[in-house]
Amino acid sequence: MSLLQLAWKNISGNRLRSWVVVLCALLVAAFALFATLLLRGAAASLELAANRLGADIVVVPEGAETEMEGALLMGVAAQFWMPKENVAKLADIPGVEAVSPQIYLATLKNASCCSASEMFMVAYDPQTDFTIRPWLQRQQHAELGLGQVVGGHNIFPTEGDDGLLVYGDVVKLSGNLEPTGTGLDQSIFFTLDTARDIARVSETRAKQPLTVPEDQVSAVLLKTKPDTNIGELAMRIFRALPGVYPIQSANLFRSARTQLNSLLRAVVIVLALIWPLAILLIGMVYLMAANERRRELGVLRALGATRRFIAESLLAEAGMLAFCGASIGVFLAVLAIYLFRRLIMVSLGVPFLLPSPGALAVQIGIGLLLTMFSVFLAVLLPAIKISRQDPAIAMRE
Amino acid sequence: MIRLEDVSKVYELGKGNTVAAVRGVSLAIGAGEFAAIVGRSGSGKTTILNLAAGLTRPTAGRVTFDGVDLWKLTDQQQSHLRSRKIGFVFQFPSLLPTLTVHENVILPTRFGANGPSPDAPQRAEAMLRRVGLAEKLSSYPRQLSVGQQQRVVIARALINQPQLLLADEPTSNLDEKTEMEILGLFRELHASLGVTIVLVTHTRQLVTSGMKAIEMADGRIVEASTTAGPAGNAARLPLDLTQ
Repeated sequence: MSLLQLAWKNISGNRLRSWVVVLCALLVAAFALFATLLLRGAAASLELAANRLGADIVVVPEGAETEMEGALLMGVAAQFWMPKENVAKLADIPGVEAVSPQIYLATLKNASCCSASEMFMVAYDPQTDFTIRPWLQRQQHAELGLGQVVGGHNIFPTEGDDGLLVYGDVVKLSGNLEPTGTGLDQSIFFTLDTARDIARVSETRAKQPLTVPEDQVSAVLLKTKPDTNIGELAMRIFRALPGVYPIQSANLFRSARTQLNSLLRAVVIVLALIWPLAILLIGMVYLMAANERRRELGVLRALGATRRFIAESLLAEAGMLAFCGASIGVFLAVLAIYLFRRLIMVSLGVPFLLPSPGALAVQIGIGLLLTMFSVFLAVLLPAIKISRQDPAIAMRE
Repeated sequence: MIRLEDVSKVYELGKGNTVAAVRGVSLAIGAGEFAAIVGRSGSGKTTILNLAAGLTRPTAGRVTFDGVDLWKLTDQQQSHLRSRKIGFVFQFPSLLPTLTVHENVILPTRFGANGPSPDAPQRAEAMLRRVGLAEKLSSYPRQLSVGQQQRVVIARALINQPQLLLADEPTSNLDEKTEMEILGLFRELHASLGVTIVLVTHTRQLVTSGMKAIEMADGRIVEASTTAGPAGNAARLPLDLTQ
């Protein structure tokens, strides 16, 4: 009979104790992995969204910062405008290397002339763009022509094989971008010419026409020259152009980052409570079990079991229970993340990007190991204590 | 085979209180002997047995098995010696409740230096046949009577073909009929296998013909004798028995 078989027999013979340990391991593993996946997924999503935007500074109308964030992160349709002349003015500010305007639009709410309700749409200027075209090139999409759009990861054609209905106009979905976990995944991107074409068609075919003002833009994306202090440049823009607000890329999604930090603090606090409590509980359970089994373990010593075997059998038993609990825990954590990620995104106000299978496997592995290590830690002292007891005294009690 | 030289054992009870369970005992049990340690409760009989098996460290004196000082061995060496050379029968229910009868009997084979031998399951079956429980292989201890459980314990004690069998009041929880059956089994095993047996009992009537009787009181050997005939017909031997 192997050590593991003996451990398994003890597990099945002491169901209540076994369930307590499994439950503790399950809670630690599930909470730790769920929190890790959530926080890392949100952080990765923010990072990817900021990278995808690809600008050092985003200039928006003053007061539109929150709307901008909501649109980019959560896909909340937003429309705001500022004079187009700001584009030229920004280009003239020392330290600015490139500027590119964007127009933010949204489809109509529950209108038959639009495939999706209140979908966020980004129109860019292909002549000056340095943010969207690089993604297209990286993912080997062709340059977008008139009437062509590229969709975020969650955009699917609704008209034939590759069509989307936007304000009564059928545009061609040329492809999809990689997922970011943000509102960008529910958005579409096209050129300013396509935006004006949709606006023209919408006058006759849409429930309500799309307005694309010729002399207005929503935001100006800005790339700085090398060695430029971005903070100082943002301050110069703020002073030079009244009515606009420059958002530095580092400060982009500030409210989401703040939310994420609060979330992180809450998770750390809860984990700091759960983890030691679970270890303490498992340790106590094993100490009680070891005391209860003193005579049995004394008999094993009399039959020829070494001190090491006694300690190992307790550790093996705890290890098997920890593995069971942790496996169920990580499964539940992953399941919860997959099933409820949208609910979590909306209720917590943070974006979320599912990790790749490889990254998920690594995090699951770490979760399993950490939980098993925690249980090992909890059982180590009782195991050593019981293995060192005098067998004769143990059998007397 | 087993020699105790001026051995004492004092148990610490905490708060500075101690109790001397064994006081300066010298004793030798030779190979093939059937010895009975008799005495009242608290006379130190069980402690002598535990000292002989290396289950508790003597406070003073030396315990040797085949000339080897048990307390000069490592824990592993000592455990292997117990596993291979000593069998135990306890007073209390000592079968593991989560294991079947067959698994309980095989268990000691797990602790040898080389691990369980491939024929351990067959040997366990043979042992259980020998103690009359061949049909109870898959039963759990709770499904057996106390007498049957004690038979399983004897089978377990003999699975590794030990040179020495230590039995601590093995019949104390049994009715008279079963007690006689178990003692008969011990005698049969002694006669057929030639195994050395040390039996602890508080009933002098159990000491029968051909047995060495060692009487203990207050942690000391007060009388040692070898019976030549039926119980009570004993030849007295010197107190310090170092045969």
